[in-house]
Formats: sequence, structure tokens, C-alpha cells
Amino acid sequence: MKKVRGHGYVRASLLAVALFGAALSSACGKDKPAAPAETPIAPVPVSQIPGHEQIGEDTALKESPRLVPQEAYMRTYLQLFGGLAPADVQKRIKLGSATLFDTWNDYLSALGLPDYRLDLPRAAQTSSLMLATFERLGVALCDKAVERDLRAGAGAAANRPVFAFDLPSVEPDLAAFTTRFDSLHRTFLGYPAALAGTSRTARFYTLYTNAVAAHAAPGAAKSAFTASEAGWASVCYGLVRHPEFHLY
Amino acid sequence: MRAFLPRCLAALAVTGALLGAADTASAARGLADYRYFRALTIDLAGRMPTRAEVAAFEADGFDLDGYIDQQLAGPAYAERVRRIYMDLLRLDVGPTFQIVPPQTTLRREQIQGPNGKPLGIYYRKGQRRARIETDGDFCMTQDETGLQFPPNTAPTGAPKSVSQEALDAATVVVKPWWLYRDYGSAAPTDRYDAATWATRLPGFTPVVGLTMELDGTTPTVEIRICKEEAQQAPSGTIFAPKRPAPVKGAPPPYGRLAQLPQDSAYATAHAGEAIACTMGSSLGMAADCGCGVGLERCMPGDGPGFDPRAFSFPTASPLGDAAPLDDSPQAQSAWLRYFWGQEAIHFLDNVFAQDRDFRDVLTARDTWVNGPLTQFYKSVAPAACCGDGLTLGYTKEQPLLEPSTLPALLPHDVMRWEHVADRGPQASGIFTMPVFLTKYGTRRARAHVAYSTFLCRDFISGNVQLRPSTEPNLMIREGCSTCHATLEPLAAYFTRITESGWTFLPASTFPASSTTCKADASGNLPGRCKTYYDPAFADATHAMLRGAYGSTDHAEAGPRGIADAFTAAPEFAPCVAENIASALLARPLTTDDAALRTALTQTLTDGGYKLRALVRALVKSDAYKATNDVVAHASRDGGAP
Repeated sequence: MKKVRGHGYVRASLLAVALFGAALSSACGKDKPAAPAETPIAPVPVSQIPGHEQIGEDTALKESPRLVPQEAYMRTYLQLFGGLAPADVQKRIKLGSATLFDTWNDYLSALGLPDYRLDLPRAAQTSSLMLATFERLGVALCDKAVERDLRAGAGAAANRPVFAFDLPSVEPDLAAFTTRFDSLHRTFLGYPAALAGTSRTARFYTLYTNAVAAHAAPGAAKSAFTASEAGWASVCYGLVRHPEFHLY
Repeated sequence: MRAFLPRCLAALAVTGALLGAADTASAARGLADYRYFRALTIDLAGRMPTRAEVAAFEADGFDLDGYIDQQLAGPAYAERVRRIYMDLLRLDVGPTFQIVPPQTTLRREQIQGPNGKPLGIYYRKGQRRARIETDGDFCMTQDETGLQFPPNTAPTGAPKSVSQEALDAATVVVKPWWLYRDYGSAAPTDRYDAATWATRLPGFTPVVGLTMELDGTTPTVEIRICKEEAQQAPSGTIFAPKRPAPVKGAPPPYGRLAQLPQDSAYATAHAGEAIACTMGSSLGMAADCGCGVGLERCMPGDGPGFDPRAFSFPTASPLGDAAPLDDSPQAQSAWLRYFWGQEAIHFLDNVFAQDRDFRDVLTARDTWVNGPLTQFYKSVAPAACCGDGLTLGYTKEQPLLEPSTLPALLPHDVMRWEHVADRGPQASGIFTMPVFLTKYGTRRARAHVAYSTFLCRDFISGNVQLRPSTEPNLMIREGCSTCHATLEPLAAYFTRITESGWTFLPASTFPASSTTCKADASGNLPGRCKTYYDPAFADATHAMLRGAYGSTDHAEAGPRGIADAFTAAPEFAPCVAENIASALLARPLTTDDAALRTALTQTLTDGGYKLRALVRALVKSDAYKATNDVVAHASRDGGAP
């Protein structure tokens, strides 16, 4: 097993505290009578200290996931848009929806791209503004993907950049949802949903059904999407904004 | 802990499987495998994996080693490594550095033509003219136009229609390079057409102000320009007409806003001698030097401003110049600045894509240029030379890039990049590229960024008290010496390239220690010497070239000297390994990574400083595979959805 990063620092801090305590004790103790000699305490393993029997020492190297390089994020975004050029993606999104997307240049610094001209470094960590930008870009991507992939004339399912499946004729049960969700999960996160380790599929199914129900409810706000489309758009939003999409 | 250990064991088992059996894995993939594959694709292919790539990865017999090697041979890998060094060097020059040489900048004044309609006339500020009324200024007078022409702004006054006779006497009609592909022919016909040139000559887009007449609707097929500027000869003669000196307090004559230009001492002494029209000094010394054939030695602007707009091009292109994000009208100086940065990008991409010796980044004499850069090196770069250097005998520039080595590209060839195999004897990797020399304008800035980027060292001031001092030698001045004892000798390597410029100062004209420029009895240097020689390091016998005091040997060695010194330094190879590893691991290396650093350094040096082997070793290391491990588990498994 590897060392815990920062272990040396903790040890040095403890040493400093001990030295400070010794110095304090030495400085303050001059007027006191000499204490009787104490029996030195022998060091013992931490597991022998009462109450610590079951506490293991995690000595594994701790590393945070990395932020996907901004250029890789943008290339993936373009890929999910069907391989369009950046300027064409901008035009495509703004077509019919002036507020869904501003311009690429408006997002560059928020995404954390460096600006060498102004000596602005690359952002290596996320920020609130960056997350908001991911959300805005992600929503635009999913909305356009629903229009492109889930409607008539979308072409062969396997070739669709995002939704590589057709909408079922009836609302899907969990099994039908799972197949389709797995395809989306692989598209955005690069691995089967079954390996997510938690009940991710079930939770996304709940998200889907809630979105469909809300959309179909009487008095629901008017939408350009059908209830099913809105459900799949919500699932897409969840994946394109997932931390695993932006980190690696 | 209970949940953590099985995961660790599973991960270890998976890692073992990946490392064993030559990485030809079975179909039983675990989460760590998928994450590793995704990381490899992001780092080496420049994007996340597609569904098809994930499916291929899942198939029996997938050759992960082969996949890594395939990606390492692609352009995305080269871009990934280039970004590491671009992030360190930040080789793009900002708008605070405006390259607007008067000799190559054409501005446009608006007057009233003979037909009463607005008419644009191009000219160069400071152009010498035989006609005294307009010498050094716009080529038409207040009497003729009703206007005065203040610098960098619109004319003032009540415009009146100029006579055709006056217009023809002062100006000529030209079909310029920014409107005609075949501007070099006797009768150009291949005029700019936005629709067809977008595919024929992508990236070349003059602003509307250059392609349309002032009415905004009529396409411009030819332009009017002052006749001196339209001259085509490669050389002219030094012009010293001995204009009358201005009387103190008297207004400028002939309705001018500026006094008549005066002849320099050099021009007076060398009147009638030849001068190259590419040299910056020719503007103020020759009335028979112009912008050349099709005005190719000058950059156009769509107005009278200091840095007028000229072309539309991307303000940013993080995905490369073939995938621009926008197309915005920008100042003419931004055009050149943009391509300086692109030169470094193309050079670095080539070094990494071809898996050349990494030391080439510092030492190589080759580069890549496109049409605008070819025009820059041929016509604009020489205009920075030579200023006061003329008076010291620097009459023929020794450029950092020999124009004779340039390919036959035209300014419209924006997307066509060609290799220049040998820039010339002074060239040394990125150190002699305009983007580096202007981004880091001072000798010390150049040395500092090279020191930190290629030796991974920095300057940290000592804990000493700064006291007032008259000691000019920073290598020994108290409080300064802790850094400058190292920095000054390094800065001296850049002594022979002017600060904030690219003019090379040859030893034959600018000896490191000059007896010609020695100080007088009062300690002053001759006026012509002050630009180049340092009064703080001068006495009655000699003066030191600015920057050379740190080490005259280094000054003579030049940028190639610092490249050789750095690449031979023991810190160089470990620094390359550290830069690459810390970028791909997204964290600084620490003492815990000593073994990794040593192994990567060994791989680099054993492999002839080719980065592909280093990156291959890194992405197959445990450190890389574990980079997104533990915290990611906790976050992913505890979070929702």
C-alpha cells in the first residue's frame, strides 16, 4: 500500500506541537518543584489503543478526479452534435431558439479555457460559473438532440449521435427503459449503466417517469416536446451534467 | 472500510489483468477498465470515446497497447502535448502589443471626390514627398480638400470637392493585394469574391470597408493611393531636401497640422545613397520608396485610426485554425499577432507529431509559415530595422529568418502552411520566433520563462533587506543578487535581439564592448549609441552593449547558446518528464513521485528525447491509472443520481 499523501506533514505538525509544549513546559516550570520522574510510555500500534481496534489506516494514495480538458469537452460536444463545426453548432442551436445558446466566445473563459493573450491560465478545477455553463451547454445539446434523434427522419438508430434508439410506442417499463438508458449512459459516461454501482438506472427511471407525468399533467406548461421527449430530454440533462461527464 | 477493500482488491485485480497478458484483455471489463479507457481516449484522442469505441473496447481480444500506439501516432496526441507547453509558455501576444509600423501601415482618409461623393485615399503617415506642402503627411492639402488631417482620427474642416487635376497629381489608382489574387500581374483580374474565396482561399476575409466603396454598396475594384506609396522599386535614394526649420511659435505652413519634416544627420550625410525600401528607416529618408508591387509591403486599414481594421478572423481558436469559433473584423495588427501564435502552434505540433527530439523545441532552425507570415517576414519584419542602428553602420539587416528561405506563398494563403527547413544561422527553436520575442519583450523576461519552463526552476528572492543602492550590477547589488546572479547571465543570451522586437544586432556592427561608443568626460554616451549601449556600464574607454554585462560569452552565444546550455543541463530531462506527468496527472509531482519521475526521465533520455515513449510509459503507469480512483469512488457512490 502506498503512503497517505500529507502523512509527513501531519507528523511534522505533531512534532512541532510536541516541541512547543516541551518549550512551554520548560519555560513555565522553572518556579515549580521538580516533578517526580515519570515512566516513559512505550509506543504501541494504533490498533492497541482502546477504542481503536477496528479503525484501519487508509494508506492509499488519494487523488481527485481530473477535469476533462476544455478542448476535449468541446470536441465531445461537437461529436455529440453530429460532428458539426463549432460555428455550425452555434448556428444550429440558435436556429429557432435565440435564448438557448449565446456564442462560443461567451463560454470560453467560463469553461476554463486559458487566454494566452491575457495570460489567463487554464482552470483545473470546476467553479460555480463553470457548472452553470456546463448546464446551459448541456441543455442546448439535449434539446437539439431530442429534435434531431427522436423524431421522424432521424436515420438509422445506431448512427444517431445521442439517442441511438427509437421511442417506444408505449411508455417504457423499467426493462425497456434500462436498455435505452444504458445506451445513453455509454454515450455520455463511457461505460455500462450496470457498473455504476448504485441504483442509478432505477433513479433515472424515476426521473424519467416524473418528467413524463409532469409534462402530461393537466395544466402543464406548453412545451415543444411530447411527454416522452421531455422524459428523455430530462435523462439527457442528468447525464450531460453528471460529474462523471466532466471529470475523468 | 469494508466496502473500500473489496473495491481496492477488484481494482488491483483489474489493473493486474490490464498489465498482464500484453494488455489484450478478456471481455470481462470492470469499472476501472472503462475509466482507464475513457481517460486514455480523452488524453490521446482529444475527446471522450464514442459508443462504437466503447463497444470495440469491450470485445474479446481488444489490443489496448495497440490502441495506445495508434492514438500516439495521431494529431490529437500532438495537440495534447503541445497544449502542455503552450499552457506554460502562453505563446499568444495580447492587444497591448500593437505592431503598427508607420512604414507598413496604410491608413485611409476620406475626402470629397471631384463628383462630390466621398472618396477614400490610402497613405502612410510620415511618407517623404518631393512636394513640400505634403512632405511627411497626407498627400493632399487643405487648399485642395478643405480638410486638415489630424493623426489617427477623422479629418476636420469643411470638405470641398477636389479637382480631378489635383487628385491625379497627388494620387494614383492601384489594384492592391488584398483585392486581387493576381496582384503581381500587369493587369490583375482575379478579384476577391467572398463566396468563392471562402473555399478557394479559406481564412482570408478582408473587412467590408476594404472591399466596398464608402457608399457601402459598390464593390471596390481599385483603390486610390498617394502616388509615393504606390512606388514599386525595391530600393530608393536617401532624400535630404533641407526643408526650412520651423520658426519657434509659428504655425505649420500650408494649412498643415504638423511642421515640415527635418532631415536627420544621417540623411544629410548620406543624401543620394541607396537605401532598401523594406527597411523602416526608408519611410522617413526616401521619397522614392513605396509599398511595392500591388502594395504587398504594406498592410491596409479601413480608416484613419491608429490601428485600423483590416481582416475578419477568429478571436480564439482553441480547436485549431481549421475549426474557428467566430469570424470578427479586427485591427490590422491583430492579423499578424494571431499568426505569430499560429506559427508556434504549427512548429510544436510538427515536433510532437513527428516525434522529433524534444530538444528541437529550443534548438531547431526550421519553422512553418503560411501566406500572412510569409508576407510578414518578407515585408513587415524588416521594417523594424534599424532605427539608430543606421548611424552605427547597420544598413543591411541580418534577419532571424532569411527571407530567401520562404516559400512562394501569397498573403491570401491563410490555411496553407509550408515548412521552412532552415530559418538561418541565428534561429533557435521558439526562442527566435516573433511570438516569443514580443510576448516576453525584455531579455530578463525571456530568460525567466525559459528557465522556469525548461528547467522547472524559479527565482525566489532571499530574505534580505533591500537598501538604497547605486550599484548598477544586479548580480552583486545587495537584495538583488540572490536572483540576478543567475538571471543576468541567462538574460545576456538575448542581448543581440532588440527588446520588444526581433531585430538581430550582429557583433560586426554592435560589438559587446564598443570603443566607438565610449563615454565622454561627463560620463555621457554619444546620442546615437544610447539605444544600444548602456551608460551604466561605460567609461572613458568603452561601453557595454545593453544586457551583455551579465556575460559577454553568453551575449555572443545568443539564443542558441541558452538552448544548448539548457538542453545539456541535468535538470532538463527531469523537467520535461515533470511537465508532461503533472499535466496528464493534473497535479504537481511530489517526493512521493520520485520513482515515477526517475523512470520517465530514463525513458526520455534512453529514447533520444522523443516524447511518445515517455507518454506511453506514463499512461501505462499505476500513477496514471489510479489518478481518478479513490475520491471518485466516494463521490460517485455516495452521490445521486
